[in-house]
Amino acid sequence: MAGFASMGVREIQVGLASKDFSAREVAQAALERIAKCDDEVHAYLEVTEELALQAADQIDEALASGKSPAEIGPIAGVPIAFKDNMNLKGTHTTCSSRMLESYVSPYTATCVARAIQAGGIPLGKLNMDEFAFGSSTETSAFGRTHNPWDLERVPGGSSGGSAAAVAAGLATVTLGSDTGGSIRQPGSFTGTVAVKPTYGVVSRYGIVAFGSSLDQVGPFARSVEDAALTLNAISGHDPLDCTSQPVDTDFTANLAEGAKGMRVGFVPAFMEAQGLEPEVKAIVEQAAKHLADAGAELVEVELPNAQAAMSAYYVLGPCEAFSNLSRFDSVRYGYCDPGHKDLGSQYEASRANGFGPEARRRIMLGSYLLSAGVYDKYYYPAQQVRTLITADYTRAYEKCDVILAPVSPRTAFKFGEISDPTSMYLSDMFTISINIAGNGGMSLPAGLGADTHLPVGVQLIGPQFKDENMFRAAAALEQVYGKAPLAPAFA
Amino acid sequence: MKTLEEVLQDWEAVIGLEVHCELTKLETKMFCGCKLEFGAPPNTHTCPVCLGLPGALPVPNRAAIQSIVLAGLATNCDIEKHTMFYRKGYMYPDMAKNFQTTQGPKAFCMRGHLDLTVDGRGAKERLFWEDLAEGETSENMTRTADGYVAHVGITRIHMEEDAGKMVHIGGGEGRIAGATHSLVDYNRAGTPLIELVTEPDLRTPEEARLFMHKLRQIFLTLGISDCSMEEGSLRADGNISLRRRGSKEFGTKTELKNINSFKNLHDGLAYEICRQAEVLEEGGKIYQETRHWDPSKKHTIVMRVKETADDYRMFPDPDLAPYDLSDEFIERVRAKLPELPDQKAARFERDYGLSSYDARHLVEHRFTTEFFEEACAEAGDRAKELAKPLANLALNDISAYVNAGEGIDFSKTAFSPARGVALVSLLAEDVISSKQAKEVFAAVLEEDKDPDAIVEERGMKQVSDTGAIEAVIDEVLAANPDKVAAYKGGKTGLIGFFVGQCMKAMKGQGNPKLINELLAKKLDA
Repeated sequence: MAGFASMGVREIQVGLASKDFSAREVAQAALERIAKCDDEVHAYLEVTEELALQAADQIDEALASGKSPAEIGPIAGVPIAFKDNMNLKGTHTTCSSRMLESYVSPYTATCVARAIQAGGIPLGKLNMDEFAFGSSTETSAFGRTHNPWDLERVPGGSSGGSAAAVAAGLATVTLGSDTGGSIRQPGSFTGTVAVKPTYGVVSRYGIVAFGSSLDQVGPFARSVEDAALTLNAISGHDPLDCTSQPVDTDFTANLAEGAKGMRVGFVPAFMEAQGLEPEVKAIVEQAAKHLADAGAELVEVELPNAQAAMSAYYVLGPCEAFSNLSRFDSVRYGYCDPGHKDLGSQYEASRANGFGPEARRRIMLGSYLLSAGVYDKYYYPAQQVRTLITADYTRAYEKCDVILAPVSPRTAFKFGEISDPTSMYLSDMFTISINIAGNGGMSLPAGLGADTHLPVGVQLIGPQFKDENMFRAAAALEQVYGKAPLAPAFA
Repeated sequence: MKTLEEVLQDWEAVIGLEVHCELTKLETKMFCGCKLEFGAPPNTHTCPVCLGLPGALPVPNRAAIQSIVLAGLATNCDIEKHTMFYRKGYMYPDMAKNFQTTQGPKAFCMRGHLDLTVDGRGAKERLFWEDLAEGETSENMTRTADGYVAHVGITRIHMEEDAGKMVHIGGGEGRIAGATHSLVDYNRAGTPLIELVTEPDLRTPEEARLFMHKLRQIFLTLGISDCSMEEGSLRADGNISLRRRGSKEFGTKTELKNINSFKNLHDGLAYEICRQAEVLEEGGKIYQETRHWDPSKKHTIVMRVKETADDYRMFPDPDLAPYDLSDEFIERVRAKLPELPDQKAARFERDYGLSSYDARHLVEHRFTTEFFEEACAEAGDRAKELAKPLANLALNDISAYVNAGEGIDFSKTAFSPARGVALVSLLAEDVISSKQAKEVFAAVLEEDKDPDAIVEERGMKQVSDTGAIEAVIDEVLAANPDKVAAYKGGKTGLIGFFVGQCMKAMKGQGNPKLINELLAKKLDA
């Protein structure tokens, strides 16, 4: 089957409906492409060939019985792959950690089950920063993922495998998770449409938790519509996650409406932020101009407390991570350091050797921050900051329908270029406040940087549970920029 | 070691309880859909949530929240409408997530209390109540006619999940010391558990025992738990410290664990009070430690020394949104409150003219309460007239019968409430003597026949014919002239001897009241 790599959801579904090819052929084309190209990219940790062909055959049966692809599901026949922190029964779920190297999921995450139920063909599991701690996928215990735009560079992170797979045409769409920017930043680095919905839009059941109050699942795709269709498939209330909300929005509904009449918020302080590269700043300004040209009204908004988001995040995130990761203790599953005669030393050695340095750093940080006497000084004020930032966004949306901002201060960096943790953390300076507030945000590819000639994404941030606003603005910009291309080396 | 009585002369014991109660009557666990079942094969009622598998999330069980609100309303607590679940971190294999989901500073139920009526032998452990006038209150104690009421504060009742069960193999008695293997059964993991914490308001082991007893009655009446101390669905830990009489400062406390019966609670606390007194009187120091009560050796041993306070790194559980209870929900739960033991006892006093002692003891056990209520219903118009003998029947004969047998369900025996009414009617109408009534009671249980039929068959009718009785009395007096002389000389206690002789002559069928009356008349003539 020719041309699979560059196809979007509609093209695959048109081909299936007109019997140009079968779902099995789509699956086989995807698997062949992974076999051929993933050595260079290393997006995949596990390829689920059998599950993919099985799912494809079921779709072919449904098509043969007279159903249309749309009747089967919003992503019927679409090859999809999952970040390796998402449980899929019978597959390894390693979170790119030695700790879970041998762990096989006995159950399936709700979002994964829904994606397959909606007709997605599951190709496999994707590389990530260990337990999602990182912005470059370099902390994976199972090798680094290469940015398809420049194999010497990182794809961003933590959902680096999910981003790279879409950019290289190793999957049509993928799912990632975003705790502080882990979908949007790799989306910007790889020139893919990358969506973090409002907290509660997608169930977290079955996603190995990092920061439970911050984590949210979302899609990567090469078009706004593909991302919207994928989100349609996975969103909505889940009785197994009491923080999920009864969302029944059709995220494709207003993609054709254009930006005319939209009020687009612009945050001057973001544009003056230290570390924002001129080429990125220029692209964000240009995007604003495009929206204005399309009939949107640009309004200045202020998020006075957003600069405190990073500090709050590095309190709340590690606290929740410390607690969430305490279950990895070598007793029931996961890495167990051999030969210990007592529980205490087995715990210590297994956790010391099973977790990588960044995971250990966050666990120790969280353990300290939650300890008696320290808790009141950090955790509680961080929650207060959270309330203030949430209020900032609420106030800003009285004046606008969507906010336009940078995603990452810069384009993809080289492997090893950023080695100290604090500089790495700054990668997320424009994305973190959105997780703190709980709103939805997405990265839309907006061309290449003038200096680095690497992809730059612009961020569209919506009011809570009005994610359709950012989809609408993104679709309007996509009219100008065109759909996201495959990385040139993989086109 | 001094006795408890001696120790309490010089020292005041300050006792608080932490009570854990598993909500065994619920269908499913606290945060997942796994079935609650005691005694199932190990690890058969588990799922990703209660096994703490990566990615699993908790969803609270609403029925459990209803149960804790019921418990709070029944113990006079304020219901907190806005609370949160917290994570309490500790690494141990019985808690798969290595944190327990529990509640933070605000629990669903706060600031409650229970009043304990203490009298009889139990009141002897407390000093100075006799110095008070009836109705007078001192500290948390109010004097009654024959004892006192202790007002016991309840700090809070919070919701949490139980841990799995550890079994250690290779050591002694399943203990961890010397064990070669440890096994975990996660069937119990995630069982909804409520923890009630009292204020340090208890002063004697008997008050602690009464508190637990009363609490168990309330929880059983609410139908939220089977409250089995043996199976561990109701567990109590005691915190005990001593202070010199008159002192207001608290001493260092120890925590007493492994209490699986009311007797163990009483005896363990009593031992610990005496032990602490001995240590203190010898100039020693009490360490804040957890001690294990060994009922067979009748002493406590150190389990764990708490050098510093544990740091559980508590913080609000981000997987569980703040829990808001609406007024409507609370009122709906309030409407479901059954009649509680104290209310029932008050009704028994009011409607049937029972003494407060009888009423209070009737409601202590389900079998006595149920028998009494059903019998009164059976008695209809005569309920008030027969209430006292029915209460006696329940508190004496039936209680003795149930206590003698292991796990008897009295409602399933041949002695139905209707037969109870028949029996006390025979007694009230002087057809049989109370001694005969005991025989009939046993015979009904043995032969499954109506009391009237047994009386008929055995020819047990009581002789109330004055002529016949007088004839027997005359014979007895004539046969014992020396005793008659002694009686007349002032040894009036001999009346019992004469009654006994008459009864013997009448084969136990004489009406004892009449025998007494007629004997007295003849002897005093």
